[in-house]
Amino acid sequence: MKAVILAANQSERLSPFTETRPKPMIRIAGKYILETTIEFLREVGVRDILLVVNYKQDMIQDYFSYGDRFGVNIEYVFQESVEGIGHALKLCQPILGSDSPLLLVYGDVLADGNIFREAMKTHYETGEDLAVVTLPQSSEEFGNVYLDHEMKIRRLIEKPHAGHTANYVFAGVFVLSSEIFQALEKYQNNMEQCYQALIQQNGLQATLWEKGWIDIIYPWHILEANKMMMNLLQEARIHHTVVMKGQVHIEGPVIVEENVTIESGTILKGPCFIGRNSYIGNNALIREYSVLGPDSVIGYGSELKNSVLFGATTIGRLSFVGDSVVGENVKLGSGTTTVNHLTDFSFVEYNVEKRMVNTRLKKIGSFIGDDVTVGARQTLAPGTSVGSGKIIPDYLTLSSQL
Amino acid sequence: MCGISGIVSSENIAKDLFSSIRNLEYRGYDSCGLAVYAEGKIQLRKNTGEVDEVNKKERLTQLVGNLGIAHTRWATHGGVTKENSHPHFSANMEFAIVHNGIFSNYQKLKSELSAEGFEFRSMTDSEVFAHLVERAYAQSPNVENAFVSSLLQVEGAFATAMISIHEPDLLFCAKNVSPLMLGLGESRNFIGSDINAFLEFTKTAVTLDDGEYAIVGKQDYRIKDVATKEEKEKNVFTIHWDVESTKKGGYSHYMLKEIFDQPFTTKQALKIEKEEIEKMAKMIQQSQLCYLVGVGTTFYVSMVGQYFFAQFAKRHLPAVSSDEFKDIAILSDKNMMLTVSQSGETYDTKMAINFAKSFQSKTGAIVNVMGSAISMMVDNVIMQGSGAEICVVSTKAAFSQMMILLRIVLEVARLDNHLSEDQYKEYYTALEDFPDVIETALNEQSGFIRNMADTSVKIHNWLFLGCGVYFPVAMESALKMKEVTYLHAEGMATGFLKHGTLAMIDESLYSLFFVPPPDQIDLHERTLIAIEEIKARGGKVYGFIFEGDEKSEQLLDHLIRLPKVHFLVAPFLEMIMAQLFAYYSALKLNRNIDKPRNLAKSVTVA
Repeated sequence: MKAVILAANQSERLSPFTETRPKPMIRIAGKYILETTIEFLREVGVRDILLVVNYKQDMIQDYFSYGDRFGVNIEYVFQESVEGIGHALKLCQPILGSDSPLLLVYGDVLADGNIFREAMKTHYETGEDLAVVTLPQSSEEFGNVYLDHEMKIRRLIEKPHAGHTANYVFAGVFVLSSEIFQALEKYQNNMEQCYQALIQQNGLQATLWEKGWIDIIYPWHILEANKMMMNLLQEARIHHTVVMKGQVHIEGPVIVEENVTIESGTILKGPCFIGRNSYIGNNALIREYSVLGPDSVIGYGSELKNSVLFGATTIGRLSFVGDSVVGENVKLGSGTTTVNHLTDFSFVEYNVEKRMVNTRLKKIGSFIGDDVTVGARQTLAPGTSVGSGKIIPDYLTLSSQL
Repeated sequence: MCGISGIVSSENIAKDLFSSIRNLEYRGYDSCGLAVYAEGKIQLRKNTGEVDEVNKKERLTQLVGNLGIAHTRWATHGGVTKENSHPHFSANMEFAIVHNGIFSNYQKLKSELSAEGFEFRSMTDSEVFAHLVERAYAQSPNVENAFVSSLLQVEGAFATAMISIHEPDLLFCAKNVSPLMLGLGESRNFIGSDINAFLEFTKTAVTLDDGEYAIVGKQDYRIKDVATKEEKEKNVFTIHWDVESTKKGGYSHYMLKEIFDQPFTTKQALKIEKEEIEKMAKMIQQSQLCYLVGVGTTFYVSMVGQYFFAQFAKRHLPAVSSDEFKDIAILSDKNMMLTVSQSGETYDTKMAINFAKSFQSKTGAIVNVMGSAISMMVDNVIMQGSGAEICVVSTKAAFSQMMILLRIVLEVARLDNHLSEDQYKEYYTALEDFPDVIETALNEQSGFIRNMADTSVKIHNWLFLGCGVYFPVAMESALKMKEVTYLHAEGMATGFLKHGTLAMIDESLYSLFFVPPPDQIDLHERTLIAIEEIKARGGKVYGFIFEGDEKSEQLLDHLIRLPKVHFLVAPFLEMIMAQLFAYYSALKLNRNIDKPRNLAKSVTVA
């Protein structure tokens, strides 16, 4: 079976992080989303993978190349104009040939287990086209499916009336026979109509995914996905090249990669992840669900909590970064504080494409894009977003002209 | 309470034999094993653990032979150890047996055999039987005679099967009280505790009755009476269940599959011929007093029946738990009992039926499993046709039983002139519309219910509260919660709170209310009073409510809002939501949902 992974979309709602990278190249729990997907596919014996790319495709091709490093064969399909799923799938038809069925995977969903294994199992048991369905935290964003007693999808409602229903939804994993291409022809590459047609003809078989699943739409979903994946960690693992000076306290599942140096007095509370070549100064406190990408530097006395640092990030001394996502190559000056809740602990609102979205979360810090420099002693309000490349000066109370 | 199976064939049977006990696993799952005959020897492999686990440890499927027996165990006598798991060898390893049930006189037999020098390898009552056969065979070398003479020495409720190196093409089996059936295939035959053992291979079956034994070859079989050795003519019947219905499909657990199956099984319950319902209704009408009898979930099914009989048919039919039946039932030939059982093998219920029969009382039953003991022993049976229920925790079967009871109630009410034709029609329409209502609600609410389960997963103590018919619904729902989550959930009538339980209320005890629709004015008010009583003492209140119930919306901390439905079916819709709640709570807690610890599907022991 061949897999088609859709990775062409530019997701503007995930700004500032998608200003500089495609969504599947976001690091969750120290690993790119696409990398996790490919590893799960290889685990169930799917070796031939078609990656549909467009937005920032170089990043994907540079990293995954032909897939040798990951034990798979990757072919790239360039979707010049991003015209939806049906169009992307149609482009794959010449390469797929008569190979049937195919595994269709949305590149931006993440599950905390091998969701493909469930799909294949049900496919081999029933021999039918199927969709994996799951219950998300909220189903406002997704099409609702209606299941009958035989676990067939009988109805699909694309735009449900928010708040009134909470059905199972498509989890972004499908097993489809090659007949889908005839349907694409008939419905002019409109995938939604193809699904509807499949449902009306035979009833599309569903298979339930009852474990963790997340579609990363807004920046805070990175934190939720990160938490979900970090919860899978069972044990601490420290590379033999790691240097710990004096007293370093380690608690719970903590992963420390090669060439990391940790100075005395630092406390690491798992689950947390310290990427290769990172440096952590004295008396730092790295708390649960913190993930440091490679080449990060954490200054003396800083505290990190439930935050994702993409890598090559420097956090100056005596800073606090909590419930925040920090892009690559960012420098936070000393004494930076990301305030992570409102004084009355109400839900934090977040500005997405000039619209305020209620995060339904009480604790949210800041979302800082790539290549940002934040000057010393800045205090960032809950739900602050900093566009990539911004330079914010120091917050000074006195200067030399006095 | 265990599962036994056996196959005799002209081909290698190990894989099919393994799959047969796998399909019986819900009957018990603390250990299992296979004994297979080949080339003058019996190979026996067994160990502790679930069936798949044991297969990994012992490679059961790699055995080779054309004749074999298998067993999956739920321990009663002797701990869960490799030695105590079945099959058991006789001392000289020429006979291997499997056994479900209890040999009540095993201690006497064991000391007798020990004195004669038989060494026991296990702590079970079962092993006795293997030694008995060996001893009898030593005296006169005929396997059938040795098997029968051993059967005559054991007492109790049991089903047993045996293979021997002296009869390499024959399976021997017998039963008393515990269930056993034969499955008839092409050039191979099967035995099993129930039809799931061989449903994958054949749909033709024969039921063994108490005091009978069978000698099964690959082409033929003979069923005889243990006492007289006379051959018996038996009915061969065809099973209408689809094998597919016992497969999981896309569901991750049978429990959820069976919950989602309820729209369909409700339709099946409504399809049962009116004549059948009427026949049962007339039986009840003609009796002076009729008891509704069940145990566990089926007791709550009976309680629901009791409320409906009072409400619609103006009759008092006491609901009694099977295990207590003897202690409180007053019986005569003018009285009747109507029992409810999914498996039709429930020991306590069978005993209750026998007790009623000893007074010449009439007996009726609603049963799911065809060919089961209870379906055979009562005067009048309604087969509910819900299909195989695999999850140990009963959902769809219990639900169908309630629907069928409700139909009987409406029939009695009509015959007694307590219902006008119009009302009768109105109620039936409500029932007929119900399957679609359930399907929509299951789909649209599942996310909300999962959310409710996720947010309350740290709560270890629950009160499930309702009044009127919502009280047995709360009781049944609390039982579901206990079974599958291992948490404490107590079902209670709302009126009970102020008579003691309110003392327990604090922030760590949550309450789940089964709130009736607001137009059920009396019930609704009584429920609201109870909600306020708990709130006033700082307790958290969750609830299932119906649309348009503003008062409850203001009071409840967390609620599930259901669409308006007819008052007749309203409690059932809430019950289904509670099933989902138990399921998602167990999922979050990572419980063994289809096979909860310490439980088994058909409780065929005392």
